[in-house]
Amino acid sequence: MKITATLFILMLLLVVACDKDEPGNVDNIPGLGGDTWEPGPIDVWINDSLTAPYNISAKYKWDQGELDFNRTLTPPREEKIIPVLSAIKKVWISNYVAVAGELFMKQYSPKFFVLVGSASYNPDGTITLGTAEGGRRILLYVLNDFRIKGMPGYVPSDSFNVKEMFHTIEHEFGHILHQHVLYTPDFKRISTGMYTSNWNNVSDAQANQDGFISAYAMSAPDEDFVEMISIMLVEGRSGFNNLVDGITGTSPNGTTAAEAKEKLRQKEAIVVGYFKDVWNIDFYNLQTRTRNSINTLIK
Amino acid sequence: MMNRTLLYTLAVLLLLLGCSKEDDPVFDQTPDERINETLAQYQAALSGAANGWNARVVTGTGGIFNFHFRFNAANRVTMYADIDTITAGTARESSYRLKALQQPSLIFDTYSYLHMLADPDGSVNGGNDGEGLQSDFEFAIDSVTADSILLTGRFNGTRVTLYRSSDADAAAWQNGNWRNALAFQYIGYIPEYFKRLALGSSSYDIRINQQRRTITFMWLDAGNNLRSFTTSYYFSSEGMVLVNPFTDGNRTITSLSSEGWDAANAMLRVRTNGGTAGTISGAIAPARPDREAPARWWQFAASQDSYWISFNGFRVNGVDDAFHVRDLPAFAFLVFWPAFGTQSGVTYDLLGFVFVEGSSLTIGYGAAWRPPVFTADGRVLFQLYGTLGTVPPGAAAAFNNTNALMSDPDGFYLVQTGELTYDMVSAKDARSWITWEY
Repeated sequence: MKITATLFILMLLLVVACDKDEPGNVDNIPGLGGDTWEPGPIDVWINDSLTAPYNISAKYKWDQGELDFNRTLTPPREEKIIPVLSAIKKVWISNYVAVAGELFMKQYSPKFFVLVGSASYNPDGTITLGTAEGGRRILLYVLNDFRIKGMPGYVPSDSFNVKEMFHTIEHEFGHILHQHVLYTPDFKRISTGMYTSNWNNVSDAQANQDGFISAYAMSAPDEDFVEMISIMLVEGRSGFNNLVDGITGTSPNGTTAAEAKEKLRQKEAIVVGYFKDVWNIDFYNLQTRTRNSINTLIK
Repeated sequence: MMNRTLLYTLAVLLLLLGCSKEDDPVFDQTPDERINETLAQYQAALSGAANGWNARVVTGTGGIFNFHFRFNAANRVTMYADIDTITAGTARESSYRLKALQQPSLIFDTYSYLHMLADPDGSVNGGNDGEGLQSDFEFAIDSVTADSILLTGRFNGTRVTLYRSSDADAAAWQNGNWRNALAFQYIGYIPEYFKRLALGSSSYDIRINQQRRTITFMWLDAGNNLRSFTTSYYFSSEGMVLVNPFTDGNRTITSLSSEGWDAANAMLRVRTNGGTAGTISGAIAPARPDREAPARWWQFAASQDSYWISFNGFRVNGVDDAFHVRDLPAFAFLVFWPAFGTQSGVTYDLLGFVFVEGSSLTIGYGAAWRPPVFTADGRVLFQLYGTLGTVPPGAAAAFNNTNALMSDPDGFYLVQTGELTYDMVSAKDARSWITWEY
């Protein structure tokens, strides 16, 4: 009993002894709550056009912490930022808002864009144009080469960069959608046994012959699903039809052209049905709008 | 009993220790207060310099570049740089901020002239793709005094010192003195491949690599031997300064200043060391051709049954890709493939037009050439043998013009510009050339 009491006193002493005074001035920790600077016209534009209406923020000023530490990268040119973001707004946000409503977009959109001026050069000599993670953060590279019709120096091959940017965004947004409500398991049965981690050694044309819309779609059913969404949206319905109809020959895996076309058509049907049943979105309507918006930028 | 004594001793000990509240910090402010104060001081120093700051940046690849920065208190910086005549003549505004990273840091956080050096796109600055010139735009601040600020790059470790500018320094940028100093770029307008610096009765072939900032002098010495000297250079507001002085006999050149571009004669007037006047103009032949170069070039590819590549075709009279080969649909590059095949007992070379087909490359068509003739004075002569494949009508002009130039009876010099790069220069007038890469 006594020992317990002593122990109790001991504990008390410990606690009392550690009751130090005020931790000092912690009101003004530098960088707490993010970096600050004098807001300029770009900051105002981002706030008014993206942050206030859709709760989307865009970081265009250099922050190494957002990026790979082993890549040489540069921040974007200031004059490219508003054109890029307004293109994103026009092609991606406005079209989803038109077919699914504002609430849908506010609820599900990825919330954070990081903009990088240069490309990200990979050790194998290829470059990365965009990445995304967690359905929240999207990194867009090569902004300094972003040119749309009407900008000085625009050449038709620039349309590749523009399309690739929307490919990235639509792809990642597709992930967010299926992570909320999964697509029917029938989708995974279409190409059973053909998903491979070796997809990066397959060309897009070969992937098409196997009934995949792109080589990356071969990496996993989830990627297959969102690649379908993103390429169908970016290329438009006739672009997708041309791609499917253009498949010829038998793949090295023995898929005939007819089988490949059939697989892609089945996948198309599931994507369209998924948008209708789960999100009440007319996919073909969205597709037409998206493709038209892209065309105004590049044609 | 024993236990209790022990416990009490412990308790007393704890009391003594625990109550030792003597919290005597070395500094009388918290770390946050001190870092904020330091950042405010640095901010005041940066934006307090009325004429801005001069800086010299030495990139990881060894290039030396001068900058002029003027910071304001609202995160904006205006700069000039001696990268080219545009950056030296036009002020560009971008943003910067001070940030407490592991050290107080100065970040140029949107694209500016400074970022051109660090840009991983090799076509911006002549560096390798993926690393650029190994430069920085995010710096740790090592020290700040009234007149200088010492910075260390956080990515590539570039050392930069900012010096407070005088009125005259700032005026030299604003009045275009630096842009004039960069008039050396105009020697790119000289239509001939070979450039010659004439000083009195002496002349020196010079080759300037504007991206790597090196200059090479080639000349024949008193004993008629070919000599060569290469050094890095940088610009001052006066002109080009050689890092290592060039000497030939009793002549020493430490700097070259531009006295103006003479467009009518396609010639740059210069002064050496601020005194002796001279000119840089075109020359139709080198001081002495590299006589073994043509055979060396041909044999190198032939011995490996491989080929040389040109992405841009011929440059003629100052026009890049004069025959518009790059405009051909799906054009990839030209190949020169020595000893490509044999027909009727003739082992011919191929000048092929390569195209992208699907995801692979294919030689669409090409011209066959008889085995080349290597002359004793260091030229190579080509003679057309025939056409391989079918040339579509749209490509006929590019194809025929390229072949016509190749067939020039005066032939070509070959100039080795790197381990695996050669320039093939028309010997007739040195106004046409093509770059071959392996």
